[in-house]
Amino acid sequence: MLNSLKLQDLRKKLSAAIDQRVRIITAGLGIDELRAVMRGDPPTERPNPRYKVHTTSFLFHIRPRYYERGSTIFAHTFRLGFFTTFAFAVETITGLILMIYYTPSPDEAYSSILNLMSNVPFGSMLRDIHRLGAEAMVIFTTLHMLRTFLTGSYKKDRSFTWLTGVILLGVTLLLSFSGYLLPWDQLAFWAVTIGTSMVEAAPVFGTEANLLLRGAPDIGAGGLLRFYLLHVVLVPLIAILVISIHYYKVAREHGISQPARIEEGKASPEQVKNAKQRVDFIPDLLTHEVFLTALGLFILVAAIAFNFYGGAPLEHIANPQQTPLDTKAPWYFWWLQGMLKLGDKTLMGIILPTIMVAVLVGIPYIDRNPHRSLFKRPWAVGLGLLATLAIVVLSYMGLPEYGIPTPAASRIIQDMAPEEGLGPLREVPFEQLQPGVYEVGQEVPNNLCPDLILGSDQPRGCPELTEVFKDYNDRIIRAATVTNLPKNERLPNVQAVMVIEDWQQDLRKVTMRIGWDDVDSAERKSYERHVYIHRDHGGE
Amino acid sequence: MSRVQIEIFLGTLLVLATGALIIVYGLGEEERMARLERQQQGQAIEVGAELYDNNCKGCHGPQGEGVPGLCPPLNDKYLFTDRMKDVGWSGSVEDYIVATVSSGRLTSTRPELYAGQGSPAMPAWSEDYAGPLRQDQIRNIAAFIMNWEPTAPDRRTEGGQLAGPPVGTDITIELPEGDTVNGEALANAKGCVGCHVSTPTGPAWSASEGTPGIADRSALRIEQADYNGTAETAEQYLLESIVLPKAYVVEGYLDNLMPANFGSTLTAQDAADIIAYMLTFK
Ligand code: HEC
Ligand code: HEC
Ligand code: HEM
Repeated sequence: MLNSLKLQDLRKKLSAAIDQRVRIITAGLGIDELRAVMRGDPPTERPNPRYKVHTTSFLFHIRPRYYERGSTIFAHTFRLGFFTTFAFAVETITGLILMIYYTPSPDEAYSSILNLMSNVPFGSMLRDIHRLGAEAMVIFTTLHMLRTFLTGSYKKDRSFTWLTGVILLGVTLLLSFSGYLLPWDQLAFWAVTIGTSMVEAAPVFGTEANLLLRGAPDIGAGGLLRFYLLHVVLVPLIAILVISIHYYKVAREHGISQPARIEEGKASPEQVKNAKQRVDFIPDLLTHEVFLTALGLFILVAAIAFNFYGGAPLEHIANPQQTPLDTKAPWYFWWLQGMLKLGDKTLMGIILPTIMVAVLVGIPYIDRNPHRSLFKRPWAVGLGLLATLAIVVLSYMGLPEYGIPTPAASRIIQDMAPEEGLGPLREVPFEQLQPGVYEVGQEVPNNLCPDLILGSDQPRGCPELTEVFKDYNDRIIRAATVTNLPKNERLPNVQAVMVIEDWQQDLRKVTMRIGWDDVDSAERKSYERHVYIHRDHGGE
Repeated sequence: MSRVQIEIFLGTLLVLATGALIIVYGLGEEERMARLERQQQGQAIEVGAELYDNNCKGCHGPQGEGVPGLCPPLNDKYLFTDRMKDVGWSGSVEDYIVATVSSGRLTSTRPELYAGQGSPAMPAWSEDYAGPLRQDQIRNIAAFIMNWEPTAPDRRTEGGQLAGPPVGTDITIELPEGDTVNGEALANAKGCVGCHVSTPTGPAWSASEGTPGIADRSALRIEQADYNGTAETAEQYLLESIVLPKAYVVEGYLDNLMPANFGSTLTAQDAADIIAYMLTFK
């Protein structure tokens, strides 16, 4: 018996057995075929097993068998749809890990983030990637929309794809917005309070919708839990569903469009023929995607490891009793904040955005021009660019610096030492905060603390404190002496100081006080703020 | 090489590079986490300092020095050493502070020294006990108070002894020449500033609308129709107010707030210095 089993037979049997296992896992690709795929060789069997996979494997059946060469030209798609999907995948994975450390309750949320950052190895990196990925997803989605608009890829049988795309834009913004509240800091709390108060301005059901979102008249435990569930369950589920529909259309129905110059006849028959060639999914498209994924991951990690991305912000814990002086929506909502400055909430926060969405949805039906080339649709392209410009301008107007008059005294002090974040005063090295009373006047000494010696290798005195104080001084003197400023920016008869006190070990207290005569009533007014600065407050 | 091969090659390089980056980043993780922890602690102290200033300084003094007769000092070595043993608290000092501040204190544990407001001696501060502060805020205040530990003076050994005989309660005695600078230091150390300067617990020493400063005011007091003390000069009035606060109680104030034992805790020189200092508030 044993003798009859030749060694060669055994090897053959073994490799056949392995090949069979591999085929089961890869849904039909044998070992030899896999090798050929990796090397870029032609298929080893007939019929082409690389196509068969697309019917036998679930994961491959939602992928295209091939794209036409013309539609894979980089400058046609810039791979923006791919990178949006990539960002979504990154968000899903990092998000799942973040969920391990996060507790969605007002008492715990903020401290769980603090704990994540100071107690979990790679916690900060995880949080930064999740934040950066979210912003990237918004950027990619928007650019992807702009590109499909400019290449005229929303026409005819792609109009439904466009519609699902518009839904995805909304879903992306909703994902970001719902995640924004979760750290439960001042930034988050007030941005979301303002955001949801817009819902309240909706006619008829506004109050109810707002209540439904917030869980109570004000955001609290209920609201946080709702936003959390929206962020980790409902919106991602919708996103996965709609992305699948969106992508299935592209992959299995109409493919990615050809560049307009191929489709609309400018190209030579040679070029057209070339553009219609098939680029197979296995191995070309697949390798390309894996490569792009590696590239994307590298960029993400490098951006964080080299600190190109400033890091996910975390302000003081949310305090419903204290409205910050400057509230700021995330940048992708500045346009909305800008619009709100132009009119009332119902018009600018509900009616106009609804119209904007309606226009976006309606584009394939409004624009009946059959051409796709940029040059043959001047109206569509012109209006599109105009709308983009409008969004940019509105975003600028949405900045807190724009169009919100703050009284000079509080503005100056807020700029010196903002309630949140660092600001020039906190950036002064701790040792230079020499206790003393520094009065604002016409003459500022070149060095506020000439006797301070911080070490032999450092300049004498406190150059950085002096710099900051000079700025404070100049702004106050300007507000006091320049008489043609707007009323709220003037400080006639000003008297101002900056007092630095040693408060505790490693803790100094800086008091900034400004007194002036009110322009209208001539009454004496004053404004002051205490800032406590600890040696380790961080941020350097 | 075909495009596929180039992409496989570059992709592998990128994956390796990403891995290397993560490893390098990971080497600094311990140090970075420790730094973040220090930062969070520093920020907690900053926040605590502000909350303390808004809520506690009226009783415990702007710098935690306490107010004799009213509230205990919190920047006191005793709090960080033997206090826990004396009250029978087995946890950490920080937890003791959190617990005390959260629930307040119904009656003082040292009524003859620090009576507080009466009952409760100190109100509850936590939202959970109908106070105004959230638990995280109380934790921040506790971090701030704990930061006094390294510099806390030991009041039991310092200045317990008087430098001479106490001034007593006879307001007609001849006081020595007063020194305003020392007077200011004493006014701080004895808690006068806590009630009269930084908070409105007692009548403000500095002038405010319609009311002259304590220096000019004391001369006017003895002319007042409702004045029922025995002082005949401004200086005597001030001394009387210090050592016999109940002799004349300023309208609008409770008669039991100002500690009544300064006659035995100040020397004649101390009293003279403080009076000289008060006389600078015109
Ligand atoms: C109404 C005056 C008052 C205010 C305001 C007040 N306290 Fe107190 N505090 C007291 C009194 C009285 C005691 C009791 C002392 C005793 O029992 O001996 C006390 C005790 C304490 C103790 C315990 C000290 C010990 O040794 O047992 C701490 C800690 C404390 N207070 C912190 C605070 C903090 C923090 C705040 C501000 C949030 C504050 N207190 C506000 C009056 C006050
Ligand atoms: C616990 C708070 C408290 C402390 C500590 C305190 N005082 Fe008073 N003081 C009061 C109150 C309340 C009054 C008003 C009621 C009265 O006259 O007894 C007052 C009244 C006075 C007056 C009279 C003021 C006037 O307008 O006529 C003088 C003077 C005075 N205090 C000086 C001092 C000096 C000096 C010290 C420190 C050695 C001191 N006080 C410590 C609470 C305090
Ligand atoms: C979560 C957000 C989105 C994802 C993940 C996504 C994904 C994709 C992918 C992978 C493609 C293949 C082609 C390419 O890479 O460019 C594609 C095509 C397309 N997308 Fe999206 N998309 C999203 C949002 C949008 C939006 C906001 C719009 C427009 C409103 C849009 C409209 C289209 C259209 C019209 C096509 C067909 C393009 C063509 O045939 O040339 N998509 N999308």
